Amino acid sequence: MPSSAPAPATATAERTVLEATGITKVFREGSEEVSVLNGVDLRLDAGEIVALEGPSGSGKTTFLSILGCILTPTSGRVVVDGEEVDAARPNRLPAIRKRSIGFIFQQYNLFPALTALENVEYALNIKGVRGKAAKDQAEEALVAVDLVDRRHFLPRDLSGGQKQRVAIARALAGRPSVLLADEPTANLDSAVGTQILGLFRDLAKSERRGLLIVTHDPNVRTIADRVVRIRDGRIVDPDVPLASARPDAQPNATARLIQEIAS
Amino acid sequence: MPNLALKNLLHDKLRSTMTIAGVAFAVTLVFVQVGLFMGLLDNASVTIDHLDADLWVTSRNTPNVDFAHGFPEMLVQRVRSTPGVQRADNLLVQFLNLTLPDGAEEGMLVYGLEDFTRWGIPWSVESGNLADLRRGAYMFLDASAERRFGKFAVGDYREVMGRRVKIIGRSREALSFTTSPIAFLTYDLVQQLAGGRMDGRTTYIVVRLEPGADAAAVATDLRQRLPYNDVYTREAWSKRSRSYWVASTGIGLNMYLTVFLGCLVGVVVVTQTLYTSTMEHIKEFGTVKAIGGSNRDIYRILGAQAVIAAVIGFASGRLMAALLAPAMAKIRLKLMISNEFAAVVFVGTLLLCLFAALVSFRKVAKIDPALVFRG
Repeated sequence: MPSSAPAPATATAERTVLEATGITKVFREGSEEVSVLNGVDLRLDAGEIVALEGPSGSGKTTFLSILGCILTPTSGRVVVDGEEVDAARPNRLPAIRKRSIGFIFQQYNLFPALTALENVEYALNIKGVRGKAAKDQAEEALVAVDLVDRRHFLPRDLSGGQKQRVAIARALAGRPSVLLADEPTANLDSAVGTQILGLFRDLAKSERRGLLIVTHDPNVRTIADRVVRIRDGRIVDPDVPLASARPDAQPNATARLIQEIAS
Repeated sequence: MPNLALKNLLHDKLRSTMTIAGVAFAVTLVFVQVGLFMGLLDNASVTIDHLDADLWVTSRNTPNVDFAHGFPEMLVQRVRSTPGVQRADNLLVQFLNLTLPDGAEEGMLVYGLEDFTRWGIPWSVESGNLADLRRGAYMFLDASAERRFGKFAVGDYREVMGRRVKIIGRSREALSFTTSPIAFLTYDLVQQLAGGRMDGRTTYIVVRLEPGADAAAVATDLRQRLPYNDVYTREAWSKRSRSYWVASTGIGLNMYLTVFLGCLVGVVVVTQTLYTSTMEHIKEFGTVKAIGGSNRDIYRILGAQAVIAAVIGFASGRLMAALLAPAMAKIRLKLMISNEFAAVVFVGTLLLCLFAALVSFRKVAKIDPALVFRG
């Protein structure tokens, strides 16, 4: 039986934006087969923040790659934003990524030759948004991460926290329903990391996006609705509702600003 | 849309400069080599191209205008009586020896016509009057002869085949493919200087047609009347004279080899720099894929980089070649770059740069977007 991590009963009213069931992944190394994931389940609802924790080599990144439609599972079922990912049609994966998924990377992975605004605009172009619409949406995204005054700065002229804000703005481009973050605070000091986590919480809650954060950072628990632990390719702990029960999980000023822009 | 290709090139100035310099070097090499070759080839037919004749009658199988063979000069009467011919004259082309003031002997190519003013050569006269050639033992000598014969001026005398001939004029740009300077003397004087071997003989009959006459039809008629001669239109004779040097000597192969090496150097430099640049940006390309981009999006970036390198590299190479032309002219090397040839080089540069990008295309096609998660 695969290990499972069903969502708690308190968060059932929201639409499910990401669902993985019985995911296995086996890599072949020469004549040997290495099983990295052994029947993992996960569900992510709109507006929900889930922290995925686990030691190095536990299969977190592989699981994230499968959830993000970068890898296909050996077996199991992934449904993103209502569309079932068909492993037999790998050509369909970029389209699902383009439409429904925003990535935030540990190393930011910004294009160093493009300004903050252009980084976001380029991602929008990839997603099919062009011209003035792309520029306007990119500006909106930078407003949302409170970085619009640095929109013409190159990544090399931004601090780590600012780079991560640009990366978040880029991930928001095209309004994906799922945000997948890989160690987003690992390269930031704790103060900046806390700011970024606050931003994550505001964006997820105000725009009702599902946010999965792969992390070693215990601070992530302060914003997570649930924590899922993975070890040796299996979910090992039943998840625990966290932030959703706290009174401070309300939209703050940034979130209100986003709502105003959206309206 | 942010032009990631252009921004990447501007961002990585050193590598971009190297790429563009590689293209520019290759383009310059091709322009200089081919331009010099074209300049040399131009010499191979320069008199044919300037002489105002529609048809040339030569002895059978004459390979080029410089290596002329004799045939009876009286055949000119048959040519003159052919319908459609307005004027026909004998032309003698001979290599004769000229004795320099220091006693050394040098060869020069001599053109002998009864009246040069009727045929438009020499086409560029520096000094002197061509009509005066008929007044005695006189010659026009091309200014390019100074390189081999030393300084000379109008009024000087030189010995040609042991006979004193006065220089009464200077021409310009009359240089044979063999780099022998060209002198212009009357037909009779050349026959005399040739020492009897050309008595009653000529090497060419140059023919001007009546207005509206069909050159091909007249040439066919002449071939029937002169069964032991060849008859060419000006274009065909010019092409034959040029082709001889390309096909019969190593110079053509040498030029092709240099052009090939130039292209190879360009392709290798561009391939290497584009590939290295691709490898350095591999994570960015992985990111493009991770955010939903396709291989085509990345090909577009790499293709645009190659095209930008090709365009700037071509422009730089063309400029360098243009700057070299006057410097080469000072040492009497003619660099000829026609617009048609420049267009061919431009298209070739684009294609070669895109070809160089293919290696990078293959690499990015296999990028695993999961690399974006690696530190």
